[in-house]
Order: sequence, then C-alpha cells, then structure tokens
Amino acid sequence: MSLAHSPAAGYNSPVPPVSQTIRIKVLLFGRLKELTGHGEDSAEIADAATIEQLFALYAARHPELAKYRTSVVASRNQEFAAWDTPLRSGDEVAFLPPVSGG
Amino acid sequence: MAPLTHDDIYQLVREPIDTAALTHQVRAPEDGATVTFDGFVRNQSHNRPTLYLDYEAYESMALAKMREIGAQLHEKYRIHRVAMVHRLGRLQIGETSVFIAVSAPHRAAAFDACRFAIDTLKRTVPIWKKEYFEDGAVWADGELPPAPAATPRAKRAS
Repeated sequence: MSLAHSPAAGYNSPVPPVSQTIRIKVLLFGRLKELTGHGEDSAEIADAATIEQLFALYAARHPELAKYRTSVVASRNQEFAAWDTPLRSGDEVAFLPPVSGG
Repeated sequence: MAPLTHDDIYQLVREPIDTAALTHQVRAPEDGATVTFDGFVRNQSHNRPTLYLDYEAYESMALAKMREIGAQLHEKYRIHRVAMVHRLGRLQIGETSVFIAVSAPHRAAAFDACRFAIDTLKRTVPIWKKEYFEDGAVWADGELPPAPAATPRAKRAS
C-alpha cells in the first residue's frame, strides 16, 4: 500500500518521473499484530516520510489502530525512535505496544 | 557502546531455562557472591486463575537491549559476569520466564546490579506476554518504553 501519489508525467515531458517512494520493512507486535493480521509487512511510502506518517498509513487501513497511537512506541532499525523521524529506503520500523516481559 | 569482554550470557530461548547451570557459569574464583533473579509464572492475575502464558519478542531488538543493559551494569557496578535469559513461547504455571545471575567480588554490587537489570528489562526490552484464562485471554498491562520525544533536527526547527 502507498500514500505517495504517483506523479503523473506531463504528456510533453520527455523524462520519465523519478520514483519518489521508498520501501520500508514494518513489524507489528502483540495486540497490534492481532488487529492488523500481520506481524511483518513491506510498505511503500514517500521518500523521507516520517514514522508518524507510516503509522497513519496503517491506521487508514485498520481504523482500530488509531486508538492505540498514544500507547505505542516506535523503533527504527532496532532503536527507539521519535515519531518525527524521517525514513530511508530499507529501514526496519516496528510499532511496539507497552512491553511486559519478565 | 563498549564491547562486552566479560563472557556474559544473553539469550532468548524456547526451552526451559537451566537456572542452576547459569548460576554456576557466571561464578569464578575471584568472585565472592552471585545474586540471581528467578521470575516465574504466577497462578493468577488480578485474582483470575491463570492457565498459561504466551511470550513473544522482537527478537533482534530484545537481544540488543539485553546486551545494552549488560553494558550498563558493567559501567555502573563492580561486577564480574552477567547471565540474562528470557524464555519465549508457551509457559505453564511455575515455569521460569526470566533468569538473571550476576557475579561479583562483593555482594552489594551484585544485589544492586541484579535489581537494576530486572527493573530495566521489564521497562525497555521488547517482549510481550499474553495471559490465558478459563474465559479468555488478554495482553498483560505493560510499560511503555521511554523513547525520544522528537528528533534533534525537529527540535531545532521548532
């Protein structure tokens, strides 16, 4: 799924549009995995989109996710990350509910 | 993060944890004490009888965070070795879910480090447990790990 609209090439444009999207590996755990039905996914999103925008992409498809937004933390490449972190192609982002190990 | 050079043990396992073996493995002749924490499955939760628990983890990140805790232990306390093992999958009542052993020349550092280790693990390591009851199942109440509020770049811009 994708938030990025494909830029329509002008009919008089000789240059094909450059891809403006990146691919992100997305992981969901616990109740988030149950809600969405998948623990691991691949998402296409606009280049330099933020983790917040990536979450919104999933919340748009699974509206029940939205109410968990304030009780979720995100990680980027296995480090806890701020919601405004811009993403790069190949990043691994996980959405983590409150942890309960031990 | 400084590399660990202490023969520590950090593991996620799906079989029963051999607590006696781990306790033995962390001790060395120069030590005088080992403090261990053995966390196991309670038979009830909020007064509802528990049938069993299922644990899952973000395994690569969980191991990385466990090693980070170990590095902090060696920075903060005069300890020798750490073993930190968490079990995943289905656990029955009374089975060990997490085991931590810390050896040290003297007991005070081992006690303090072991306490810091389990408290930090429960707050920051991405592991989740689902509790099963006669009439249903729930994800256990957990703690939201501390995460950066905003990227430095965004902070400057605001």
